[in-house]
Amino acid sequence: MIEIRGLTVAFGAVSVIHALDAVLDAPVCGLIGPNGAGKTTLVNLLSGFVPARAGDVRVNGTALLGMNAAHRVRFGLRRSFQTEQVVEDLSVWDNVQAMLDHVPHALDQVDAQVYRALEHAGLLDCAAVPGAELDLYRRRMVEVAKALVGVPRLILFDEPGAGLDERESRLLRDAIAAIPECFGAQVLLIDHDVDLIAAICTQTLVLDFGHRLALGATRAVLEDPAVRQAYLGA
Amino acid sequence: MTPDSVRRERRAARFALLRMVVIVLAVGALVPWLANAYWIKTLTSSLALAIAAAGVALLYGQLGLVSLCQYALLGVGGWVALRAGHGLHWPFEACVLAGGLVAGVVGMLAGLPALRLKGLYLALVTLMLAGGFQVLISASGFPDGGAGFLGRISGSERLMLPRPAIAQGDGAYFAYVAAWLAAMLALLELHRRTRAGRSWALIRRGEAVAEGAGVNVLLYQTWAFGLAGVCAGVAGALLAGAVGQLDGRAFAAGESVMLFALTLIGGAYHWVGAVIAGLLLRAVPSLLVDLGVNGYLAMVLFGAALLHALITAPRGLAGQWLAALRRRAAKGRP
Amino acid sequence: MPDLLPFLISGLGVGAVYALSGVGLVVLYRSSGVLNFAFGALGAVGAYVAWSALDQGWPLVLAALAAVATSVAIALAYGRLLAPRLAERDPTVRSIGTLGLALIVLGFTEWFWGEQPRRLVLPTDAGAIEFADVRLTHTRVLGLAIAVAMMAAVGALLARTRIGLAMRALADQRGLSAILGIRVLQVDTVAWVISGAFAGVCGLLLANIVRLQATVLTFLVIPAFAAAIIGRLSSLPVTVAAGLVIGMLEAIAVLVPGFAPFRAATPFLIALLAIVLWRDVSRKA
Repeated sequence: MIEIRGLTVAFGAVSVIHALDAVLDAPVCGLIGPNGAGKTTLVNLLSGFVPARAGDVRVNGTALLGMNAAHRVRFGLRRSFQTEQVVEDLSVWDNVQAMLDHVPHALDQVDAQVYRALEHAGLLDCAAVPGAELDLYRRRMVEVAKALVGVPRLILFDEPGAGLDERESRLLRDAIAAIPECFGAQVLLIDHDVDLIAAICTQTLVLDFGHRLALGATRAVLEDPAVRQAYLGA
Repeated sequence: MTPDSVRRERRAARFALLRMVVIVLAVGALVPWLANAYWIKTLTSSLALAIAAAGVALLYGQLGLVSLCQYALLGVGGWVALRAGHGLHWPFEACVLAGGLVAGVVGMLAGLPALRLKGLYLALVTLMLAGGFQVLISASGFPDGGAGFLGRISGSERLMLPRPAIAQGDGAYFAYVAAWLAAMLALLELHRRTRAGRSWALIRRGEAVAEGAGVNVLLYQTWAFGLAGVCAGVAGALLAGAVGQLDGRAFAAGESVMLFALTLIGGAYHWVGAVIAGLLLRAVPSLLVDLGVNGYLAMVLFGAALLHALITAPRGLAGQWLAALRRRAAKGRP
Repeated sequence: MPDLLPFLISGLGVGAVYALSGVGLVVLYRSSGVLNFAFGALGAVGAYVAWSALDQGWPLVLAALAAVATSVAIALAYGRLLAPRLAERDPTVRSIGTLGLALIVLGFTEWFWGEQPRRLVLPTDAGAIEFADVRLTHTRVLGLAIAVAMMAAVGALLARTRIGLAMRALADQRGLSAILGIRVLQVDTVAWVISGAFAGVCGLLLANIVRLQATVLTFLVIPAFAAAIIGRLSSLPVTVAAGLVIGMLEAIAVLVPGFAPFRAATPFLIALLAIVLWRDVSRKA
């Protein structure tokens, strides 16, 4: 569960997120909004890449803002970036194991954990392939697999399916949707694909110019006239 | 619980490591039978310098860091080894280790303030350090049997650093240095294959990516600096043992620049590149002199080769040749 | 202490060259992102050309022009032919390319003219003026005047001309500037010409003040780097001030007891100090 109270994020004089209040408790939450709404900034804040000007954030009851980025990763926070970040010279297996290196884990569980993550992401058949030779779909799935090792608590996906075709999007969608049940982590998903959000997120937060526009059950949110006007263009 | 492909890859990696050690040791054993006295000495220096080059390659190939002071760290290692050998009468191995460790610590301390800055600043800072060391060592010289901190003695009483008992002769010392080279290369390769290497790879991809994975970027960069320093220090100590003494005038800042340039030319991504760099630093100039070619023309060649390496062959000579070998091998297979 | 003055003034001479070199380095870096490690080597080859010209009986002005022309020609050749091949790479790689140029130029110079140290004796060395107990040759005075004039000229170029504006724009955003219609090639050419010209003049002055020896001249550029670092590779006034201060401190360092043999390390110490104090200058991108 993510509890955000009075969160303000500003760069100099430009306020990107204004006094945001939100409680996100669904297993898979969506985060949508027009470009420049502050979605990526919120994810950057949660993962510790930008500081907060004011406000408070708690994840599963633990205060997040006092921890630095590495500490948050050890706590169980994971994120993907808008552009995939697969390391070219490492194999798929090593890319995922690299993630496990820096979070608490039992030494005899390393292979088992990496195996399980790759299995969930459907990457076992290319485990030894170096990152440089992967196609876009596999690279996106590596990002998913990386999030699954080392007891994740909150996973932030920032447009994880950008550039994938319909079949690949569906595979990605199913993998993400099953994460809470299989790995016990909450997922926060940013995407512009409204169908994807509608299909797997039970709760959605809509941001517009750094303000909360709507928060609630996804269906209700998507039918909200304010949301339709600002974002869906209805 | 690992897929077969991963198990095969790990086996291949272990085999490659073993093959590297065997090849280097074999070279150490065979060359003394094939080469004359002059060439054994030259090649001994080349192998020692290859260790230093391996350190430079680690920083550049694994982390994209440009260090232009590694030859100065070689001087630090040599100084410590000479001081320990003459003043404290430590056994040779201890002198080498001491030289390596001190140079490693100095490398880490030198790297720390600079690592927070842009890559170019690091190159400049290390160049400053190399320049500072040049002034320092020209004035103070290397220990050669005297008393006091600097350990300097005058004229004909200068001592040579005694070689280890098992490697007194030139041929035996060559094999000894080859053994050290194999050990250092193995150390670096083991780093590369484990957590350190994966963390370095993440840092190479981008600092944000590495931090997003919980990597302490500064720690891993500093550690790499320390390792590179150890490589340089060990090389310096071995050079001191090869010649018996070191000359304070031979540690100009330009040597560090040359070492860097030749490591890039040899190839910063494979151990063969480090060996090529060592050969380019010592053996090729000797060869050219033998053939009557002016040594300075070699410098022109190296400059051109550096530009060529940067523009067209980022993996250096080693990268090009190994790729060609792989293509031949692939064609050979049905 | 009254006896500091002679040292300060003599240090000012070298300091002016450091300042001039620093400006030459920073101007090129600001507009093309390349730190010219070959600056010193370019100066060295120019100085040797001047030496040969003077040896052949050429008048001073022509010899100096030949020197500067050589440095400019080589810099321009690199800037237009080789530097573009590295344009897509990160700044560090682009600057290491100039290391290659430095080796080529240095190697050629040592091969062609031989490595024995020489003196670059200029006709203007003959006359001198007395200033506060210090004997300044006309060369030094002229050199100081030229240095000041060149730095002022570059300052004016950057601040008041269109090409200067373009150079400042390029420093910030190279790709964007190209899209905005700024002719990147033209600006690059000017930047490399300036860098080459400055290198040539500095080479002549240093060869006269120190000695004419290629390796020495090539690596005398390191104190200029120190000045550039203190100017954070961007501020010309600070670079100039830093160069002058470094020159003067290096001269005074002779007076510090016990430090004399190490006084050549003064520029490095100052630069290192600057780096350590300004650690938060620019976080790695």
